[in-house]
Amino acid sequence: MKRLSNLSRVALRIPPSYIVFAVLLVTLWVMRPNLIDVAILGTFARQVVPLGIVVLGQLLVISSRSIDLSAGGVILLVNYLISSGLLYDWPVCLIILLCLGVGLSVGLANGLLVGKRRASAVIVTLALNIILIGLVEYLANGKPPGDVPKYFRELYNLRFWSLPAPVIFWIALAGLMSAFLGRSVFGRFVWSIGSNPISAHFSGVPVERTVVLAHTICGLMSAVAALVQTSSIAVGSVRFGPELVMNSIAATILGGVVFGRPALVWGPFVGVLCFALLFVVMTTMGVQEPRKLIAQGLIILLAAIFYGVRSKSNS
Amino acid sequence: MSQLSRMFLGANSRDGLWTVPLIVALACCAGLAFSTAEFASSQNILNLIAQAAPLILVSIGQMIVILVRGLDLSVGSVVSLTTGILSLNVPVYVSVPAVMLAAVAIGLLNGISVTTFRVHPIIATLSMMGIVQGVTMFVRPSAGGTVPPEILALVSGRLFGIYMPVIWVIVAILVAWKVVHGSRFGLHLFAIGGGETAGTFGIAEQRNVLAAYVLSSCFAAVAGIFLAGRIVSGDPNIGTQYAVDSITAVALGGTQLAGGIGSLHGTVIGCALLAIIANGMNLLNVSAFIQTIVKGLILLAVISLQPRKTIGL
Repeated sequence: MKRLSNLSRVALRIPPSYIVFAVLLVTLWVMRPNLIDVAILGTFARQVVPLGIVVLGQLLVISSRSIDLSAGGVILLVNYLISSGLLYDWPVCLIILLCLGVGLSVGLANGLLVGKRRASAVIVTLALNIILIGLVEYLANGKPPGDVPKYFRELYNLRFWSLPAPVIFWIALAGLMSAFLGRSVFGRFVWSIGSNPISAHFSGVPVERTVVLAHTICGLMSAVAALVQTSSIAVGSVRFGPELVMNSIAATILGGVVFGRPALVWGPFVGVLCFALLFVVMTTMGVQEPRKLIAQGLIILLAAIFYGVRSKSNS
Repeated sequence: MSQLSRMFLGANSRDGLWTVPLIVALACCAGLAFSTAEFASSQNILNLIAQAAPLILVSIGQMIVILVRGLDLSVGSVVSLTTGILSLNVPVYVSVPAVMLAAVAIGLLNGISVTTFRVHPIIATLSMMGIVQGVTMFVRPSAGGTVPPEILALVSGRLFGIYMPVIWVIVAILVAWKVVHGSRFGLHLFAIGGGETAGTFGIAEQRNVLAAYVLSSCFAAVAGIFLAGRIVSGDPNIGTQYAVDSITAVALGGTQLAGGIGSLHGTVIGCALLAIIANGMNLLNVSAFIQTIVKGLILLAVISLQPRKTIGL
């Protein structure tokens, strides 16, 4: 009996994303065996790299019991900055630095308002998102912005060993984040705030500073994701973002990081891959947009229920 | 001085910080009445009320959920679904009960995932938002259809010389006042939101939280009926803004997202303030994009005024 409960506990510790990913992979393999190929799957994975990078930041804030809904606004602003032609004669490094600076400052503003002012994270990041979207639309004044400089597109289409460059960049960034969270003191602080903010405070963890830093890193990640996103579509756009933020929360939860759970990078990483595969499987099955929405909602809900039941059986 | 100002601002009260938005709203009204001639005209005020009515309805439901430390992001898609079902060319005595049944079912599902399965409200209602939006796009893939004339009659015209939107708002406020501030259920909502110990005092937490989510969905459905009558058709995207707008209005009205503190009058003032700002900037010919920026800045300012203990959500 005890062995059985141990076994089930081990099974419950696996992030739901692993199971979903395996199921989707088998489905695809049964239906379209010729699609199981590194080059083809790499192309599919390339589409979700911006989402994957947003998730790397999102898992940090979610596991420190906060949330960031402002990624859409950051992506919109960075996209506008690059494609509007305002910085046409600036060197590339400077443009990239400016974009990263935008992400950092939005993240810092989020962090200060959430951590120091103790305002609700949902409202703060939502408000900043509204402000950024309004700002971009005001600057663009209804007109679609121009083209993105060519080198962004060229960088995006690069491949090494038949794997697209953005995917390699994403894997490297995830590895870096994983090592950072696993080995740094900051990673342990996030972990302890996630399990219990009050006991973390009384154990001498600088809760405010950690939350501010987590939000700042999350803003930076949004800017990096925005750079990849901008080079992927190659033109300026004033319309995208909301579904990316919702999907980033969904992938994080699917990866087993819920409010107040330790931040693990690889669960959400596979969660993002699930979204790439889900898109492919549904498209090959000819599923329309409404059913995709329903399926996506059901998957998030079931993953969350799975964790809810688990946390109940633990307590 | 600080004690006195805190008392005046209602910082220690269970009603939340609703005096500040009230003062801001009155100042806006005064400023607009002086700067534009149209603002104080009866036609404009009627427009204002008709524009604010659906937001008031959705926000009342949102506030009830927020009082028990919840959040309902699915209200927007419930509004869309309602207009979709009503525009299906079926008689009113079929479509209206169908709409209310759907709302109760959605509310129950939200409530069950939050109470029984202990899913975080944001996650539970977010996924429900996606599911309901998907169903809405089945029912009505694009805007169109016609709404039965009975519903049209319910939102336009007059009753005893009073315009119908005004009656909707008054009835909604009276019903909500009875529920939130005049019933045992309302008192229990505040108790549950106030702390985790409500259960030890004999308050049925699960049942009341469940009822709060059902009420929220039902208020959203009523807002959907009102909107369907206003636009005389169905639209799968009409409700999208209501999730954010209702949270904005509730927060503006001094209700705390941590639960247990808030008031109906605050929420109504919050909705009115949002509507006055939108209306006033339209009259002053301010760009719609600047309006969104201003809305965000106001939200930030109000939320940083609210004192809270916990960090995070």
